Amino acid sequence: MIKVLFFGPVAERVGASEVQVKFHAGMILQDVRAHLQALHPEAFEIVCFAAVNGAHIHDMSLPLADYSEVVFMSRFSGG
Amino acid sequence: MKDAVRIQQEDFSQDEEIKALQASSKRMGGIATFIGCARDFSEGREVTEISFDAYGSMAVAEMNKLRDEAMTRFGLLDARIVHRVGVIGAGEQIVFIAAGAEHRAPALQACHWLIDELKQCVPIWKKEVTPQGDAWVTPHP
Repeated sequence: MIKVLFFGPVAERVGASEVQVKFHAGMILQDVRAHLQALHPEAFEIVCFAAVNGAHIHDMSLPLADYSEVVFMSRFSGG
Repeated sequence: MKDAVRIQQEDFSQDEEIKALQASSKRMGGIATFIGCARDFSEGREVTEISFDAYGSMAVAEMNKLRDEAMTRFGLLDARIVHRVGVIGAGEQIVFIAAGAEHRAPALQACHWLIDELKQCVPIWKKEVTPQGDAWVTPHP
């Protein structure tokens, strides 16, 4: 399973702070994004960044390992 | 002693943070600080409180990276960054940054750089609570 976390405005639009996506061999980050974007298009309108296991990821073709933690995030507004 | 980089719900004491900074070196000739506070007015609306959400583990990691980079880039002797999360009332403190260096110029530059970078790189989001409803804040460029 891939654990996907959402925070702030993205979590509000998804209606959850965490979902699970079934892992399959050869899975890449874009697969997870495409799956969730189809379910929550309004949330992904504001997604600007992705992280895997706590690190910023710019390459959506990144291969994922089972039990990875993925986060899709909107622009930050701390401070 | 508390960690130099923290995310916490409770308020912080700038006096305690500055004492901790000063305790790290007696060569410190300049200390610059920044405190971000919750305003009671934004975008033409009254704001009663601000609610902060954070990807905690990554936020602390990113804040530590910023501190490390500032130490190197500006030749700091020490730096501290504290950011609150949860619900913060209008007028309360949100974020504290302190940069200590041998001289004032790098301390001031580092403090300015740190808050600008924090806003860009640290996964924290704020929602303003107003009498007209709640709204997530869209970052200013």
